[in-house]
Amino acid sequence: MATAPSLVASFDPTSSPDLVKRAELSEIDASTKIPVLFFLCSAVLWLLVGTAFALISSFKLHTPSFLGDIEWLTFGRARTAHLNSVIYGWSVNAAFAVAFWLMARLSRSVLRHSGLLMIAGAFWNIGVTIGIVGILAGDSTSIEWLEIPPYATPLLFVAYAFVGAWALITFRFGKSGHIYVSQWYLLAALFWFPWLYSVAQIMLILEPARGTVQALVNWWFAHNVLGLWFTPIGLAAAYYFIPKVLGKPIHSYYLSVLGFWSLALFYNWAGVHHLIGGPVPAWVISAGIAASFMMAIPVVVVGINHHMTMVGNFSALKYSPTLRFIVFGAVSYTITSLIGSVMADRQVSEVVHFTHFTVAHAHQGMYAFFTMVMFGSIYYILPRILLKEWPSAMLISVHFWTVSVGITVYVVALSIGGIKQGLEMNNADIPFLQVVANTIPYLLSRSMSGILITIGHLAFAVNFTWMLLRPRAAQKTAPTLFRTPPEMEVVR
Amino acid sequence: MNRAPLIFLGIFFTLAFSWTGIVLSNQLSYGKLQPITDETENKSYPELLPGLAAQGKLVYQDLGCIYCHSQQVRRPGFGADDKRGWGDRQSVARDYIREGRVLLGTMRTGPDLRNIGARQTSRDWHMLHLYDPQITSKGSIMAPFPFLFEKHKIVGQSSPKAIKLPAPYTAEAGYEIVPTPRAEALVAYLQSLKDTYAYPETKNVFVEPIAGTKKENQK
Amino acid sequence: MEWVFYGIAFLVSVLVTGSAVYALYWSSKKGQLRDLEQGALSIFDEQEPVGQPTDFFPGKRRSRTVPKTH
Repeated sequence: MATAPSLVASFDPTSSPDLVKRAELSEIDASTKIPVLFFLCSAVLWLLVGTAFALISSFKLHTPSFLGDIEWLTFGRARTAHLNSVIYGWSVNAAFAVAFWLMARLSRSVLRHSGLLMIAGAFWNIGVTIGIVGILAGDSTSIEWLEIPPYATPLLFVAYAFVGAWALITFRFGKSGHIYVSQWYLLAALFWFPWLYSVAQIMLILEPARGTVQALVNWWFAHNVLGLWFTPIGLAAAYYFIPKVLGKPIHSYYLSVLGFWSLALFYNWAGVHHLIGGPVPAWVISAGIAASFMMAIPVVVVGINHHMTMVGNFSALKYSPTLRFIVFGAVSYTITSLIGSVMADRQVSEVVHFTHFTVAHAHQGMYAFFTMVMFGSIYYILPRILLKEWPSAMLISVHFWTVSVGITVYVVALSIGGIKQGLEMNNADIPFLQVVANTIPYLLSRSMSGILITIGHLAFAVNFTWMLLRPRAAQKTAPTLFRTPPEMEVVR
Repeated sequence: MNRAPLIFLGIFFTLAFSWTGIVLSNQLSYGKLQPITDETENKSYPELLPGLAAQGKLVYQDLGCIYCHSQQVRRPGFGADDKRGWGDRQSVARDYIREGRVLLGTMRTGPDLRNIGARQTSRDWHMLHLYDPQITSKGSIMAPFPFLFEKHKIVGQSSPKAIKLPAPYTAEAGYEIVPTPRAEALVAYLQSLKDTYAYPETKNVFVEPIAGTKKENQK
Repeated sequence: MEWVFYGIAFLVSVLVTGSAVYALYWSSKKGQLRDLEQGALSIFDEQEPVGQPTDFFPGKRRSRTVPKTH
């Protein structure tokens, strides 16, 4: 069993990397248990909170009198609470959990100084909670994806500082001898996110930039949170789990190098496509559109890699829960990104900008891609850190089918509705209230899909909790293919 | 791990590249964008928000109006913003340089509000619309904001600020509905939203030629 | 006046692209790009070798089958 250097030794530049021994997979998994479990539990709780706000917001949009008298649930606040709880609550907590577990595994050494991560998790979740309560109380900043009030953001920064410190140590003492593609994505994501968030806080809240430069900063930030934080973590997971579940190496490692660098280069210019037609310099919009088109390169490259690895093994989808969710996510990534490139075209933007189509697209990215990949990752990770099986295969199936059908209905309904809305809005002969009335059937479909998705989340949460609570010995079946060395009962 | 520094350098440069291009270069070039002083009116445009309207903008942010309403008029020929009466001209960058927080918005579940102050001048209309959008706009999906109003017992004369709600919203006899200061501020803000000044750069706006005639671009 | 900013932006782009090209050249010289397939295999080991699937529905563990490689 690898011994851990002290925190001081980890930071001391003169410490040799040989302080740490290459560890067994089961040792590594055991060492990740407490922090990963903490972030996963937080993530699942936030998922339920975010889903509740989602349903409320969705109903309000076709039935505005629903809970209409309650000020703290007014649509503008409920929708914002939904966005922030699913982004900074569910998605970031899940991202942290999966990233830390992956980094430990890929660096082939036990996770050290998990205390740093626990402190980070506490600060992060307290910060987000205060932020959501603040939003409901009316203190939202009204800056998209940055609505958490300024009194809560210092907590998020403290949390991230601890994460950053831990990440540095882990990379320093990594023992794999080779940086796997997932590690580049994770390293990049962990570095990019605080830069994005800091610039946004400084130039939008602390020292607001001049005029519509604020809009440029806002969308450079928000789109890059999706493209340079969530996407790399989702791709890192897909790149690890698809080959790992199948037992087959990724199709082309060279393509993964190309995919990573082209994503790094192009993605961060694309964000301004949220401002097409807006009061900002035309050259920056054109650059953003060009970058959005160029994104087809990394997207297609990643798609080829994932798809060709799966070819010949689609039957594996029947027996692996992880693979179902991850492949659904990976396919959605390809589709939603290509749609995104098309949306950046000025003629297309003229129609779909400002409509529900954008909402459909955003959910296809954050849910059909990122959230599904997170679900798949959790289905793989949890048994290995708890040394138990998932209690119910039925609940897993219910989860998968409800959310995959649900999100598909969501995206299709709002995409069609959005295109219709955009075309009608560009036709001044149609009164505005008529355009609105025509969107209602699609908004109702979205609420239906929301109910399906909620059922799926409840099934997941029940299975998750049951698994945590059931005693290890009470299993009827053997654990999923990993060893259970008795000495691994001790957890840091 | 000998590749790590190289990868790190690449990761740093790629984001630095877009930050320089999108954020920094524009922050610098906007520095030369100044308000215009109009000699005839002896005012500078864009104007600063008057006090009550500035408070109203905070209410706008607090209630999340931005999530359904945009504040940017697209140019004629790109969408139907002008034909819907949302603005005489497109919004330009100079319109926003005096705003502490720019609320461009990205959704039009409801109409664009950049020129709502020019389009809808009636305070009473706004009050009724905020109380329950169904009163002025049947079939609207906008949220009602009854909590921006208070029910007062009429003591002596009724308040001049009270709003007259139609049935079935009318208060019972002896009571009146009065907007709270937040509602007054919000309406003041909405009434302040009008970008009607023609800056030099807006005079070169593309104008669609009338079908059948050859019309030059306006100069 | 704005030519200054365009000039700076151009210089920065040249620097960035230049360093990217140099980095590519450097890594090629150092042999970083040669044995790429090794990276793809790095996630497997004796405990979880190539050819062994590692995930199942609870209770549905299958006997070892080797997935088709192409």
